Amino acid sequence: MEAYVGEYASGKSEVAVNRAVDLAAAGREVTLVDLDIVEPCYTLRPIKRELQEQGITVLAWETGETVGLGETGNVLRAENRWALRRSGDIILDIGYGVEGAKTLNLLEGAGADPDLQVFAVINIARPMTGSVHDIVAYVRELGTVHGLINNSHLGDDTDVDIVQQGARIVDEAARQLNLPVVATTAVPEMAALIGPVDIAGHPVRKLVRYMPRTLW
Amino acid sequence: MPEKPIQGEKRVFMTGNEVIAWAALAANADIMYGYPITPQNEIMHYWTRMIPKYNRKFLQTEDELSAGFTTVGGVLAGRRAFTATAGPGNTLMQEPMSMAEAMRLPVVVVVQQRGGPSTATVIYSQQEVTMTTLGGNGEGLRVVYSTATHQELYDYTIKAFNTAWKYRFPTFVLGDGYQAKMRESLTMYDPADRGIEMVATEPYVGKPGMPGVDRDPTHLRNTYNVEEELYEVLEQYLADYAKAAPEIAEYEAFDTDDAELVVISHGVVSRAGKAAVQELRQAGYKVGYFRPITLRPLPVDQLREVANKAKQFLVVESANGQLDRLVKEATFGCPVEMLPLFKPGVGITTEEVVARVKEIKG
Repeated sequence: MEAYVGEYASGKSEVAVNRAVDLAAAGREVTLVDLDIVEPCYTLRPIKRELQEQGITVLAWETGETVGLGETGNVLRAENRWALRRSGDIILDIGYGVEGAKTLNLLEGAGADPDLQVFAVINIARPMTGSVHDIVAYVRELGTVHGLINNSHLGDDTDVDIVQQGARIVDEAARQLNLPVVATTAVPEMAALIGPVDIAGHPVRKLVRYMPRTLW
Repeated sequence: MPEKPIQGEKRVFMTGNEVIAWAALAANADIMYGYPITPQNEIMHYWTRMIPKYNRKFLQTEDELSAGFTTVGGVLAGRRAFTATAGPGNTLMQEPMSMAEAMRLPVVVVVQQRGGPSTATVIYSQQEVTMTTLGGNGEGLRVVYSTATHQELYDYTIKAFNTAWKYRFPTFVLGDGYQAKMRESLTMYDPADRGIEMVATEPYVGKPGMPGVDRDPTHLRNTYNVEEELYEVLEQYLADYAKAAPEIAEYEAFDTDDAELVVISHGVVSRAGKAAVQELRQAGYKVGYFRPITLRPLPVDQLREVANKAKQFLVVESANGQLDRLVKEATFGCPVEMLPLFKPGVGITTEEVVARVKEIKG
């Protein structure tokens, strides 16, 4: 069980989706849970079907089911509330930064589950998490976190430099937080250039970009 | 003195709303007034999150009428003040913005257009063009920048403060829900590092000295006793606006010289317009691209020049002809044929523009 949290637009959904896809491709039973209850119309909804075709169980709203999209907040899907009681691998995509991270408290069993790992996704091109100091302060605000993921990028303008710079900064922040760096994530072209480990010695995970297709 | 928000040039990856908050910080805005409405909320969220560090202010009001009027008040007190809104909030703000026009107050308003009429969708449209350019019970004495990229959101938010304070007309940055929520990279900078000097602000009220003795009295009016009084003031305002218009007007264009058909679009839709024209050119079509950056004042001379050469204008917008109406007025009497691609409240892709041009050209 893994939960991905982080700054708005840090790339947590992308990382969560890729993790689910990778696990499913390895033949595992995977459930991906969309827990953005603030703006569910901006997240996994548009790619739900595509992911289901890859054998992933996706717990997310359907367009026709939603009420008050975006403006009035939303209710937690009853099915999502019990997600942690499911069998197999559970990947939680938790939207909306620090406030969003509190959503985790709404899940049955979240506080007591020893298997639940919470990972904070960090992009140093996001100014709120641009420096070691800012990352440390930010992650402390998130509550329980078990590890950091360096997902530093500039969208279409990403280069190796920003990924490696991120690796170095996230590595130092993790040291100060006394947390492990789980991985550096990068699009396949960048991952190929970097190799199996980043400049700080952490494993590099390939990331296929699904999220650009999710903006409505 | 708090440190500068941006030191040196900084490549970042952000949502458009965040860009605006940072740009306002970089532009040395003193205060934001606001009332929440999607899709502009994160402008307030990021502004309030960052300002304690930089000693700036925020006031949340009870509605958009009040947010608009308090922004007016902030400017009267000499503060570089701004607000942000969308849709029905923009509707309510037309009354305070009318007052800003009446008193020539350099108020800055960011609009992230959403679907209309009324509450409609929280998502996206280009349906606030008519209201933002010509809203209120006046003559549209305002400046409206329509942005297309996050870099432009940053650049034009900074510029909006300077245009407003230089010419003393309310100035709008017209974005939309797509730009608000979309993530894209851009370069942030401190305006001074790029040689951009922020136009100094000054209070309209509470100035030192005895009015009529040490200085001219401040006479701020949005109400007049007789028609002639109003007419005299408006004549002066309109003359000022006409003089400033060519200095303020901005546009982007290419391949218009030999174009038979020119795609006219603005804001985020111009990204589809641009890509479509590039693609069609490669396929041998004689097409051009024209995008007004200022929707008010429009780059009238440049538009007319193109309208006198091209046979057809294809106006592409996520509204039912709001840009089209402005372009028709600006090009009145030119021999160009006006063709529509209107999708009110819905995004428009490159493929749709290409298909429409091919349909026209056969």
